Amino acid sequence: MKRILSLILVLALAATLGITSAFAADEGFVDGKFTETRHITVEIYNRNNDGGTDPTNNVWTEYLKKGMLEKYNVEVEYVSVGRWSETDDIAQLLADHSAPDISYTYGYNTIITYANMKDENGNPGVIDLAPYLEEYKDYIGNIITLLGGEDNLYYDKDPVTGEVWMIEGVRADTSRITTFIRKDWLDKLGLGLPTTEEEFYNALVAFRDNAETLLGENADKMIPYTTSTDIGWRNDLLAVSKVAEDIDDNTLFVYGYDDRHLLYPGYKEGIRVLNKWYNEGLIWKDFGLYNDSTQEDDNMKAGYVGAFMHNWDYPFRNGEDCINLNLQRNVGEDAMFVPIDCFQNDAGITRKFMGAAVGSDRKIFLPSTNTEPLASLLYIDFISSPEVIKYLQTGEEGVNFTMTEDGAYQILPATGDWIKNSGNNIDYTMTCNGLYLGEATGKTTALSYPGIPADIVIQANEYGKNNGRYPAHFNVGTIESETEVGTSLSEKRDEIFTKSVIASVDEFDSVYDSLLDAYMNMGGQDIIDERIEKLQEIYGITYEK
Amino acid sequence: MGTERSDLTSIAPKKTSGINRHMGFSWKTYLKRYWTLYLLLVIPIAFFIIFRYTPMSYILLAFKKNNILIPPWKVEWARNNGFQWFLKAFKDQDFIIALKNTIFLNLLDLVIGMPMPIMMALLLNELAYPKYKRITQTVLYLPHFLSWVIISSITLRLFATNDGIINKLLGTSIPFVGNPNNWRGTYIFLGIWKECGWNTIIYLAALTSISPELYEAAEVDGAGRMRKIWHVTLPGIRSTIIVLLIMNLGHILGSEFDRPFTLSNPQVTEASKTISIYVYEKGINGQQYSLTTAVGLFQSVICVFFLLMSNALAKKFGERGIW
Repeated sequence: MKRILSLILVLALAATLGITSAFAADEGFVDGKFTETRHITVEIYNRNNDGGTDPTNNVWTEYLKKGMLEKYNVEVEYVSVGRWSETDDIAQLLADHSAPDISYTYGYNTIITYANMKDENGNPGVIDLAPYLEEYKDYIGNIITLLGGEDNLYYDKDPVTGEVWMIEGVRADTSRITTFIRKDWLDKLGLGLPTTEEEFYNALVAFRDNAETLLGENADKMIPYTTSTDIGWRNDLLAVSKVAEDIDDNTLFVYGYDDRHLLYPGYKEGIRVLNKWYNEGLIWKDFGLYNDSTQEDDNMKAGYVGAFMHNWDYPFRNGEDCINLNLQRNVGEDAMFVPIDCFQNDAGITRKFMGAAVGSDRKIFLPSTNTEPLASLLYIDFISSPEVIKYLQTGEEGVNFTMTEDGAYQILPATGDWIKNSGNNIDYTMTCNGLYLGEATGKTTALSYPGIPADIVIQANEYGKNNGRYPAHFNVGTIESETEVGTSLSEKRDEIFTKSVIASVDEFDSVYDSLLDAYMNMGGQDIIDERIEKLQEIYGITYEK
Repeated sequence: MGTERSDLTSIAPKKTSGINRHMGFSWKTYLKRYWTLYLLLVIPIAFFIIFRYTPMSYILLAFKKNNILIPPWKVEWARNNGFQWFLKAFKDQDFIIALKNTIFLNLLDLVIGMPMPIMMALLLNELAYPKYKRITQTVLYLPHFLSWVIISSITLRLFATNDGIINKLLGTSIPFVGNPNNWRGTYIFLGIWKECGWNTIIYLAALTSISPELYEAAEVDGAGRMRKIWHVTLPGIRSTIIVLLIMNLGHILGSEFDRPFTLSNPQVTEASKTISIYVYEKGINGQQYSLTTAVGLFQSVICVFFLLMSNALAKKFGERGIW
C-alpha cells in the first residue's frame, strides 16, 4: 500500500513538472487586457431552425464580439457545429486540426477520449487547464461565482494526476421530471388529484373503465397512462420511489453509472409495477414499437391519454403547438394536464434523484490546437458574468421584453434579427443552462409559457425538484470501462425495460433478470467493479456489495 | 468504348505498319497519338486515388491505438501485436450477436429475396399488352425511391401490434414487428417490397437479348408457356443470375445501416442489431475508432473471400464469373 502511494505521488509530481514546463504565462497580457489583438474561434450549435438566423453572425454574436474586443482586445469568430451531430462534427474537426478553440459538448467521455489521444508532439488532444486556472484565477471570478465556488471549477480534476480537461457548465434550474394527469377527466369521474401511488393507480383504472364516458365513440383509443421506450426517464418517479430512503451515497455512486438509475437497488420493483399496469391494460399497448415521440404526442394532443411522466415543462413546450393548448383546441377549454407529485418511497417522501447543478450539463474544453488558452478562458469568464447572461437571455427592454409590475421579464415574441435560435439563448450562454436572472428568475419562468396559467407552470417546476436528492460527487478521475461502451449500454437498458414491461406477469422476473445479466456481461459489471476499486483507491472506502 | 476500339484498329495500323507488326504497338505510340484520351482518364483515376485509396490508409487504425489526431502511420501499434481490437471485438458478446444477425438476415435476403425479381421479370415478360406492362413496371419501381425512414413509419402505421391498420382490419393483435421472429419476416418482406421491382430491370434487359427464333423453334416443337420459360428463357438469363448471385454473396457480411436501424425497436434488438449498428454505437457514439475500423476491416476481408470463392465456383461450373 505504501509503495503504491509513493508511486502515485512520484507520478503526480512528474506529471506536474511536465505540465509546468509546457505552460508559459502570456506576456502580451498586461493589466487585464491584451496589448495586441488576439483571435479565437468558438463553437456554436447550429439548430437549423425554421426562420432562425445565422448562428455565427447575428445580433447576439455582434454583442459578444463587441464586448470581448472592448474588454480584452480579443477578436471572436464563431464556428457552427450541427446540434444533432455534434459528436461526429467535433471528431472530424479535431482530426482535421481545425476544431474551434473553445469547444463544448454534453459528453464527458468524448473529451476524455481525446485527452487520451496524443498529437505529433506527444501532447494530449485536449489542453490541461490546471496551470491556467491557477495562474489566472484572479481574472475568472465570474466563472467561479457562477459555478458556486472554486471547488466546482476543479470539479473534473483528476485526483491522481491533477489534470483538468474541462470546465463544467451550470444547470441553473435543476427541475427534472413531473407527473401529469388530465384534471378534467378526474373532475368528470368525481376523483381528486392523486396523492399516493394507490390513488394514481385507481385513477388509471377509472379512466380505463370509463372510456365510454370520457371518449365516447373513440373509447377504444383510451390510453390511461402512456410511456415511450425510454422507460427509465419516462417513469423515473415511480421507479425510484422503490429505492430505500436510507440508501447511502457510496451505493449511489457505485451503482450510479446509468443516468436513468437502472442499477439502484430496489429499482426493479418499480418496473414490476409497470409490468402489472401494462398487463391490466393501463399502459399504451404499442409504446414499445416507436423510436420517436410523434405518435405519442399525437395521442396526447388528441385527448386519448390520461396521465404520463415527462420533463417538467413537457406539456407547455413549443408555444401554440404545445400539448396543453392543442388539447384545449381539440377537446375543450377545461381539458388540461396538471402536475401532481404522488410517488412516495418507504419513508413516505416523494424522493427524486437529481442531476446536480454542476456536473450534469455541458462541458467546455480547449483542443490542443488552441494557441490562445488565456484569451479563451477570458471568453468563458466573459459569458459567465451575470450582465452578459441576462442580456443574452432577455435582450433589449422594449424590443425583447417588458418588465412586469412585480419585477418579472415578460418576453415578447421575437422577430427578424432578434430571433433566438435556442431557448433562452443557451447555445451562447455555454456555461449556463436555464434562466439566471437572480430574483426575477421564478416569476419570469412562470411567464415563459404563453397561454398556460402561471400557477400550473410554477407547480410543475416545483414538483420537478422538491424532495430532490443530489447524489454526492465522488471525484475519482476517469473510469476506463465507461469510456469504452458508447451508447450500447443505454440501448440495452431500454431493451431490458421495454421487454420486461410487456412480458406476462409470470415471466417478468425471468425476462428482467436474464436481460440484466446480459447488460452486466456487456460491461455493466466492469463499471461497477471499477467504481468500487476507485472508491477504495481514492477515498479509502471499502465498499461491501 | 466501342468506337474508340474501332478507331484503334482502323487507323493505327496504317501509320505504324512495318515497325510494330509483330510486337503490337509500343505505349509511346499510343500515348503520342491518343494523349488527350489518356489525359481524360487522369480525372477518374485521380478521383479514385484521392477519394477511395487515400482514405483507405486509415485501415491501419485497426492495428493502432485509438487516435485520430495524427495520421494513422504515426500512431503507436495496438497491444497484442496490433490485434488488440480484433481480439476485443470477438470477446464482445454484442459483436457476436451483431455478426450472427448480419449473416442470418443477409442469408434470408439472398434465399428469399433473390429469386423474387427473377420471377417478377419472367411474369412481366409474359405480359402481352405493352402499355399495361409499362405501367406495371413503373409502379413496381416506385418503392425503390422511398427512403427507409419513410418506409419504417409507414410500416408502423400498417403493422403496429394493436393500433396498426392490418391488425384493426383483421381484428387481431399479431406482433408483426414486436417479436424477433416476426420482425425478421417483416424485415425480409419489406426488403423485397422495396427492391424487387427495381431489381427486375437487369433481368428484363437480359431477357431482351434472347433470340426470338429460339421461342419460335420451341413452339414448333410443341412447347407450351411453362416449357418455353424453363428451356429457353431461364437458360438465356442464367449468366446474369450467376453474376448477381456472386455479387450478392460478396455482400453476405456487408450490412446496410438505414434498414435495420429504422425498422428496429427495443423489443427486437436481439434480431435487429447488425454490424453496421454496432459500429454506429461503438464508433460514432463511443469514439472507439480503432475497434470499429477493425470490425469494418474484418467485414471487408470476409466479403472479399466470399466473392472470390463464389466466382471460382461459378467458373468451375462453366460460367464466366465476373472477371
